[in-house]
Amino acid sequence: MGEILRVGFMLMLVAVIAAVALGYVNSITSPIIAEQKEQAKLDAMIDVAGSLASGELTFDSLSVPELENPYAEVDETLAVVSVTDSTGTELGYLFVAYGKGYSSTVQTMIAVNTAGTVTGNTVLYQQETPGLGANVSNPARFLYQFDGLNASSLLLSKDGGGLDSITGSTITSRAVTNSVRDGLDALCEAGLIPVSGGAQ
Amino acid sequence: MINSMLMWVIVAAPDGGEPSFSIAKMMAIIVSAIFINNYVLSRFLGICPFLGVSKQLDSAVGMGAAVVFVMVLATLGSWLVYHNVLVPNGMEYLRTITFIIIIASLVQLVEMILQKFSPALYDALGIFLPLITTNCAILGVAVLNIDDKYSLGYSLINSVAAGIGFTLALVLMAGLRERMETANVPEALKGLPLAFLIAGAMSIAFLGFAGLGG
Amino acid sequence: MSIAQDFSKGIMRENPVFKQALGMCPFLAVTTSVENALGMGAAATFVLVFSNFLVSLFRKVIPAKVRIPSYIVIIATFVTLVDLLMNAYLPALHQSLGIFIPLIVVNCIILGRAEGFANKNKVLPSIVDGVGMGFGFTLAMVIMATFREILGNGSWLGFNLLGESYQNQPMLIAILAPGAFILMAFILGFFNIMEKRKRGGAK
Repeated sequence: MGEILRVGFMLMLVAVIAAVALGYVNSITSPIIAEQKEQAKLDAMIDVAGSLASGELTFDSLSVPELENPYAEVDETLAVVSVTDSTGTELGYLFVAYGKGYSSTVQTMIAVNTAGTVTGNTVLYQQETPGLGANVSNPARFLYQFDGLNASSLLLSKDGGGLDSITGSTITSRAVTNSVRDGLDALCEAGLIPVSGGAQ
Repeated sequence: MINSMLMWVIVAAPDGGEPSFSIAKMMAIIVSAIFINNYVLSRFLGICPFLGVSKQLDSAVGMGAAVVFVMVLATLGSWLVYHNVLVPNGMEYLRTITFIIIIASLVQLVEMILQKFSPALYDALGIFLPLITTNCAILGVAVLNIDDKYSLGYSLINSVAAGIGFTLALVLMAGLRERMETANVPEALKGLPLAFLIAGAMSIAFLGFAGLGG
Repeated sequence: MSIAQDFSKGIMRENPVFKQALGMCPFLAVTTSVENALGMGAAATFVLVFSNFLVSLFRKVIPAKVRIPSYIVIIATFVTLVDLLMNAYLPALHQSLGIFIPLIVVNCIILGRAEGFANKNKVLPSIVDGVGMGFGFTLAMVIMATFREILGNGSWLGFNLLGESYQNQPMLIAILAPGAFILMAFILGFFNIMEKRKRGGAK
């Protein structure tokens, strides 16, 4: 019995020391991780919003009561940020589209002007197949096509639209395209941007 | 200038709140875990037993059964501990260490219980159990269930399907290797290289499932 | 055995991947790019060195009966450490290695060295053994990733080697799952031939 207690105590000791050490490291790294995530998001926002106008921009999170969340299946809130320039003129909006891709939920940040035209975009997160769907992160492969489009023209050529999907990655391409279109439709419905067809 | 309300959390696959159970999602999880993202042939989890225990059909079936069994128990244990102990206390960073301890103790426990109450089953599965602790498919399923924000029900379904996918790959592999035993292959490719070639061919076949579901 | 031998055996003679077929899961999964291979190699080497160090340091204190669970706890601690540090300072790499960081815990190389070497040897040789094995593992992954990234993406460590036209129509299979299995078969076959040559020469 004494043997078992001694052995059990040793194992406990190892586990406790490990947990304490990790708790300490975690207390150091967790603020850095949080800050770094926030920074990455901010950088993406500044980068994407830069397509709306140059110069100083102000971001403000919007809360529109009647705004329907098109991503209810993947996230509980649809966060929309309005972008205004230094004179207070509203230039457009930023939002993150969530699309269920092949092996992950692809998150794309979109900048749209008040006329409802996509002006900029960047992929925030994806874990798609390297060599195939992961190419979505390379703007020259797919997302460059989004700029200048509005909700009605965001459709893959396979689905009757005019966008060429990434070779071998229709699922990823479709997920991104449809999720962005859903987001734009929601903004339309909330009256933030005009109904499709405003700008061709 | 930057308002702190802009807290969009960037997470792997947000699956808001407690989703209602849908048959469609369940089927999607099952098809994905067995075929599209087969744990062995596409996600590369559990390669060691896949290569080590696939020389004979009998042992492949035994190993597969043991893995499904432990996988479900490990998912149950790790999911409950993660959501009821670690998350409420803000100790998510202890996930890896907790899960591996849960898996290691479960394997021990299952081994002792089987030995005592079902010697027949123990004889069949016993030798595979110690190998399972270091089978990364088990820890992989436990971690992926958390990363994908599955509810307990979906997690259990995912773990059963992942186990079946593992067993499927293992049994197919064993069947092929048994046949290859007598085949005349180049000297340099005998043994492990041939096993990898077969796995590659199987993996190509499984790529064909990519269009399913979606 | 000398310190130099402790170090070098992990790289060639007892290479964990090519000679012992250990650590296959991360080896096959993260070798889609050289950058990932280096990241995983560094993470695994870090864990290997520190777990070897601690296991060797406490080899007389830890009771034999709870040896393995203790090793697993030690290894899991360092894996979590790497996980947290990488997430804080190398977020992009952390994201692309994904689930394979926590899975370093069940990398058989690490537990294998703890049980097979650090357990029986003094502290210094154990550290050196960890460094050598870690290097061997990293080297193997970089070799594999070199083939896969060049064939499958036309680049090496992100540098475009084969030009835009190749990158638009690369040999995709190399970077996909089957490519990993098939390339590994050829690499192991190559080692078999080399071994046979060497043995033939010695006779």
